Amino acid sequence: MKSFDPTEEQRMMRDTVADFAREKLRERSREIEGARALPEDLRRAIAELGVTTLTIPEAAGGAGMSALTAALVEEELAWGDAAVPFAMPGPAALGHALLELADDEQQRRLLEPFVSEPARFGAVAWSEARPHARRAGFNTIAKREGDGYVLDGQKAFVLNAGLASTYVVFAQTDESRGWDGIGAFVIDAAAKGVTVGPRYTTLGLDAATFGEVSFQQVVVPARDALLGRGDFARATRRFFARHALSMAARAVGLARAAWEVSRTYADERKAFGKPIGHFQSIAFLLADRHIDVEGARGLVWRAAWTLDTKSGDDVEVLARCAEAAAEALEVAQQCGADAVQIHGGAGFVRDYIVEKYMRDSKQLALCGPTSTTSDQLFAALALGAPLDPALVLPVPDIQPIFT
Amino acid sequence: MEFELTRKQKELKDALHNLGRYVIRPMSLQMDREHRVPDAFLKQFVAMASSVRSDQDVGAALGDAEEIKREPPSREKPSFGNRTALVGAEELAWGDASLLLCLPGAGLGGPPVKATGTPAQKKKWFGMLADADKRGDLAWGAYGLTEPGAGSDVSGIRTTCRKDGDHWVINGRKCYITNGARAAWVVIFATVDPALGRAGQRAFVVEKGTPGFTVGKIEEKLGLRASETAELVLDDCRVPAENLLGGDAAYEGKSTGFQTAMKTFDSTRPLVASMALGIGRAAYEYVCDAVKERYMLSRPVPRYHAIVERLAKMHRRLEAARMLTWKAAWMADTGQPNAKEASMSKAAAAQAAVRACFEAIEILGADGTIQREDALLEKWFRDIKVYDIFEGTGQIQRVVISKRILSDLKSF
Repeated sequence: MKSFDPTEEQRMMRDTVADFAREKLRERSREIEGARALPEDLRRAIAELGVTTLTIPEAAGGAGMSALTAALVEEELAWGDAAVPFAMPGPAALGHALLELADDEQQRRLLEPFVSEPARFGAVAWSEARPHARRAGFNTIAKREGDGYVLDGQKAFVLNAGLASTYVVFAQTDESRGWDGIGAFVIDAAAKGVTVGPRYTTLGLDAATFGEVSFQQVVVPARDALLGRGDFARATRRFFARHALSMAARAVGLARAAWEVSRTYADERKAFGKPIGHFQSIAFLLADRHIDVEGARGLVWRAAWTLDTKSGDDVEVLARCAEAAAEALEVAQQCGADAVQIHGGAGFVRDYIVEKYMRDSKQLALCGPTSTTSDQLFAALALGAPLDPALVLPVPDIQPIFT
Repeated sequence: MEFELTRKQKELKDALHNLGRYVIRPMSLQMDREHRVPDAFLKQFVAMASSVRSDQDVGAALGDAEEIKREPPSREKPSFGNRTALVGAEELAWGDASLLLCLPGAGLGGPPVKATGTPAQKKKWFGMLADADKRGDLAWGAYGLTEPGAGSDVSGIRTTCRKDGDHWVINGRKCYITNGARAAWVVIFATVDPALGRAGQRAFVVEKGTPGFTVGKIEEKLGLRASETAELVLDDCRVPAENLLGGDAAYEGKSTGFQTAMKTFDSTRPLVASMALGIGRAAYEYVCDAVKERYMLSRPVPRYHAIVERLAKMHRRLEAARMLTWKAAWMADTGQPNAKEASMSKAAAAQAAVRACFEAIEILGADGTIQREDALLEKWFRDIKVYDIFEGTGQIQRVVISKRILSDLKSF
């Protein structure tokens, strides 16, 4: 290996966002949480930083930055407040989906509006509100009609439901083929037949908007069907690899924040005449979580680097991203829980921030592929097992996820 | 950031991998049973290594202290020595970890001589090993710190030394000394007065055959059996004054050269961590290969989530630890202080690798415990445990880390 140094561009971007997170996000965490949305001034500030359209390709007017740069930025944002990257405008998961599933024309046409209108939101609808009871695959159906499709169904656990101007909706195109008979479709929020259900109240990430969206006889023209550049299953796996990596980077940021707050508390809080950090049970707990955070961080960086440099090697890319996600999500939850533990009673009350970190960490771990599905995917790749979609994709009827 | 191995690192890795796979592993169990690596093999290995010795980085990778670049590395002028050494160490340990410890050279005795020794001392004791090498003989250095009553707590050593004319007289016992019986010289730590703590400690180079310097018992161990672990006895052992490492000057003032020497452990910890990863990876690969073809209740084992999730977790914990070792080595190669990171990598790697070996045996059941030439898992299971013990136990690593992450923490 050669270096752990970020490039000059990455360093500048990361430092800028880190400063912003420290100065603007930290002290407003509770305000953002209470508002259940990102306040207008912060939305504007974040859009000005350019982080919402970071990875949109240059051809579509974006910055075309690498997954590694994006990971560094997302980590810092989540360090400031884990809900912020979920609540900020931008294409969100739709960006990852289009990068892998859309052709060049679709990317330009569908991503460009996010650059010209930084206040736009995107969304991906994956999980079903009512999974099919007797067969594999989605219960949302895309029926061929003429050149296009007609889509029917109800999606749940959708990030930016109601806020999004554009959705990527996964649906069943062939009911006889289970997970091999699926497709993805771009649907405008204003299209006829799109209805947004009530917003959920969630365990954590309160500022993020999660809800249900239903589609009734929604007409989708052929040009809005995403074909995955000829290999839909592969593109879908790669979409989830990107998505998982992005969640992993946020998880590392959250884990680091929880750990740092705990360390500071262990320095300050005294018991039996000395700081609690001077007791081995607390100090070693902090040492272990520090090891965990830095290890997961290394995995995220390496996975992002792999995604950027080895685009042709699917196995390597998917394995590294899955591994980074599994580790980072687990570490974040451990750090969240240990932060509360180290704070003791203080950790359980809202005067301190760590109860939010603990809730956010669990919520975050269910956004995108979970540790469990990521481990399954990794193992399938490592053992050379067939990449059965039901094993290696987050399957909504087993464990629905937020997208 | 750049995680690709350099061409040199790849070549070293491939060469050692093939050697491990086709030559070392087939004789691994026999070496374990006989408690030694055949001299003939070590000679061949040394001959092979010297053909690439002109390359400094590779020399460093093979533990040759003289080849490690002398100029301290920096951000602007990085070395690759530590990073390449990690790659080499992991791969050799993947083949056989005991063998790696048996390789001739200064071993752990190298860093203190290099860091504290006067030019004349370095020339003498490294020269002694180099001359043997040229003659085609095997020669080792060793490091004698641990005693029956003091290991991690260095301040507890009770081996005494007193000046007597132009000699020092040393009395005490050292234990668990790797290559201690065969070493041409051993760096021995002793104290002029236990009450003085670190300030009273002195390091000597004691040559084999010095009157009063004898080998006690050779230990029988849980694992790493092919590696020699000796007890050394110093009974009115008289060493010439010029064997005091660094000379009197190294022990004057507050921040002594001797203390600097102790710090060289920072660079060896990621190396030991990498060896642990080599063993852990061997166990992981072994169990993956084994379950791939297995059926349980007429279903292939890879279809059982409970099994494959454990495999995935084994792997990611090893991989996360590898990132920590790489980072610690990169910091050393770029001249950044890395004491905390070195300890983190050692703590993480040892824990992940011990866990991997335990899990691997558990997944395979009774099969995993059988000792066979082509089934080395039970050996790795025995070998790995000490990696969470030597070079500072996992607990000591956590003490080191704790002191660096918490304010004003001097001791517990």
